[in-house]
Amino acid sequence: MLKIAIVGCGKVADQHVAAIHRIPECEIVSVCDWEPLMAKQLGQRFGIAGCFSDLKEMLEAVSPDIVHITTPPRSHYSLAKQCLESGSHVYLEKPFTVTASETESLIQLAQRRGLKITAGHNYLFTLEMLEMRRLVEKGFLGGRPIHLESYWSYDLGDLRYASAFLGNRNHWVRQLPGQLFHNIISHGIGKLAEFLDDELTEIIATAHQSEQLRSLGAQEVLDELRVMIRDNRGTTAFFCFSTQIRGLNQLRVYGPSGSVTADIITGSLVRNKSRSYKSYLTYFVPPLKSAHEYFRNARVNVANFLTRRLYQDFGMKELIERFYNSVRTGSPLPIPYREIILTARIMDEIFVQIYPGRSEMPEIGHQESGQAATVAVSSVA
Amino acid sequence: MSSEYIALASDRILVTGSNGFIGTRVVEILLGYGYRNIRCFVRPSSRLDRLEKVLSQFDAGKDVALVTGDLLSPTDCRKAAEGVSVIYHLAAGMEKSFAGAFMNSALATRNLMDAFLRFAKPKRFVNVSSFAVYSNLALKRGALLDENCPLEDAPQERFDAYGFGKLKQEELVKEYGEVHNLPYVILRPGYVFGPGKRELNGRVGTSAFGLFVQVSGTQSLPLTYVDNCAEAIVLAGFKAGIDSEILNVVDDELLTGQQFLKAYKDKTKSFISVRIPYVVGYTMSLLWEKYCQRSKNQLPPAFNRRRCSAEWKGNRYSNQKLKERLGWKPRVPMERAMEAFLSQFTSNGNDDPLKR
Repeated sequence: MLKIAIVGCGKVADQHVAAIHRIPECEIVSVCDWEPLMAKQLGQRFGIAGCFSDLKEMLEAVSPDIVHITTPPRSHYSLAKQCLESGSHVYLEKPFTVTASETESLIQLAQRRGLKITAGHNYLFTLEMLEMRRLVEKGFLGGRPIHLESYWSYDLGDLRYASAFLGNRNHWVRQLPGQLFHNIISHGIGKLAEFLDDELTEIIATAHQSEQLRSLGAQEVLDELRVMIRDNRGTTAFFCFSTQIRGLNQLRVYGPSGSVTADIITGSLVRNKSRSYKSYLTYFVPPLKSAHEYFRNARVNVANFLTRRLYQDFGMKELIERFYNSVRTGSPLPIPYREIILTARIMDEIFVQIYPGRSEMPEIGHQESGQAATVAVSSVA
Repeated sequence: MSSEYIALASDRILVTGSNGFIGTRVVEILLGYGYRNIRCFVRPSSRLDRLEKVLSQFDAGKDVALVTGDLLSPTDCRKAAEGVSVIYHLAAGMEKSFAGAFMNSALATRNLMDAFLRFAKPKRFVNVSSFAVYSNLALKRGALLDENCPLEDAPQERFDAYGFGKLKQEELVKEYGEVHNLPYVILRPGYVFGPGKRELNGRVGTSAFGLFVQVSGTQSLPLTYVDNCAEAIVLAGFKAGIDSEILNVVDDELLTGQQFLKAYKDKTKSFISVRIPYVVGYTMSLLWEKYCQRSKNQLPPAFNRRRCSAEWKGNRYSNQKLKERLGWKPRVPMERAMEAFLSQFTSNGNDDPLKR
């Protein structure tokens, strides 16, 4: 039975508790938050006896096998370091750390101590992403990926979250080097990292502020981001983060003879095989095949619903379970360290380009679309 | 000022959530009573147009101080509470998550009470809670729900983060009353309605799969018109001899869900609504609840017996204690209140209760 602890008892902690409760052979033995009332409310709601407001005290009293860290990002590095140094494995929420150097440092520490650490990139393990990975490994693309596209839309319409950081310069989101992007894009960048080589030859990032965000204030916060990436094998990737496009959370992977699109929002995995048809059949057969593909997805989703697999946090539960299994059995980690480090390096480079010096941020905020920072860089690997 | 009042006109008064639906009316009524030394606490991201409009209607409006901050910050709480005698605490967390609701209702209140006790000379802390804290599971249909009704003991099962935040907030206020002698009054308004709030409350009905479903419809709604509610809140800050009291706020001449919906539909776009008997609603809630348990929350427990009971069972409500202890009476009778509420809607078909 693995002993689990949670550090940080805010909104995300609830999702972790729910996901962990689905996993056998583990038990949440304690929760910890610098604010004792936050720890108490989580403990009371889920019947967890150990409630702490001091991490050192908790680690000494409980000696958890695995600690989940669900605090704001700026505290990730020091808290994870403390947990690793005391002998616990760590599940660290996204973004893994604030900088790539912190990411590398934590991973090295874990390796030196013979412990494991993973990043909360749970969208890598949704049902459609698992199916996509299976197809790519089976050779569906007809070779290695040639081009990747990752889209991540974020709805500012729900202002409950946005207004908290837009109106407050001291909000932890505003303190991050990449501000709004920093807290979210690791999900979309992490998907690209899986298929990119460590040696990147080019990253071009451009960002601007949407009219909608401008009307809400916080002029130095950018919310529209586009990134082009190329690795040393010639694989290219495009990343788009938008608050203005609604309902587009996809990963598209293109190979020489096939492509796949994993759609997080509809839970679909759409396959497409490149094939030529004679004459007018070109206009009839491919659309019918597409229709069949979407119908198949609907059928799969119904089957998943009936077998109770279509729940909201499937990806998180799957990632946590795989991480626990890796800790238990010594099997490979669900997310290779290479991918976690590459994701952090890409993010570092993006933020350097779009926020070149935080003192100049207000000027960037007023730049027109397409005129923002577009600096090609050499390898960041 | 009446000798029954504990606050003088010169006393500094703090209103949190002062730019909200009820908060602006509270400020308006305070100014109307002649209180000039008012401090309005607002979040940095708040739109202030509603509050500014109220302030512009009074000469004393220019004396009102606006303080911007976050009640989760003890420093901001000190800024807010320093030197005040009475606090009207209306700010509330509208978060969907339980942790978020707890933070913005309970933690924020704790910080504010700490600052009040430390940096002020407290005469009264008026905590504006909600009917959401009650559980009528054990009450029969038609029974009286008053201040003695049991509180919800399983807000998580009821899937009500807001109610959870309010319950925890009340617990803290009572604890501060007992342990730190905080002079407090808790008000629990029912369904507050009026111009400025266009959406329908869940007690009238709920949107499900694109339909507006009204369960029962014969149940009485615990309505309170916003001006009447604000009047009760203001009085609770001044009235002598009511420390540690808990008071429900509902108006006279309450309407049923069916009457309210009909008036609403007559004035707004005609939309499809389905009315189902309470027993059917209860059975469906039970089935939904059981499925959620069986599927380990594949569907969220949005419909459950506790919620069904709280919102649609149908109880009687009383404002007797409110009248007796505060000398309150509704400023606006129900008929005029409904007219004022409905007057905000045009008949151009742009009002959709399902878009909530």
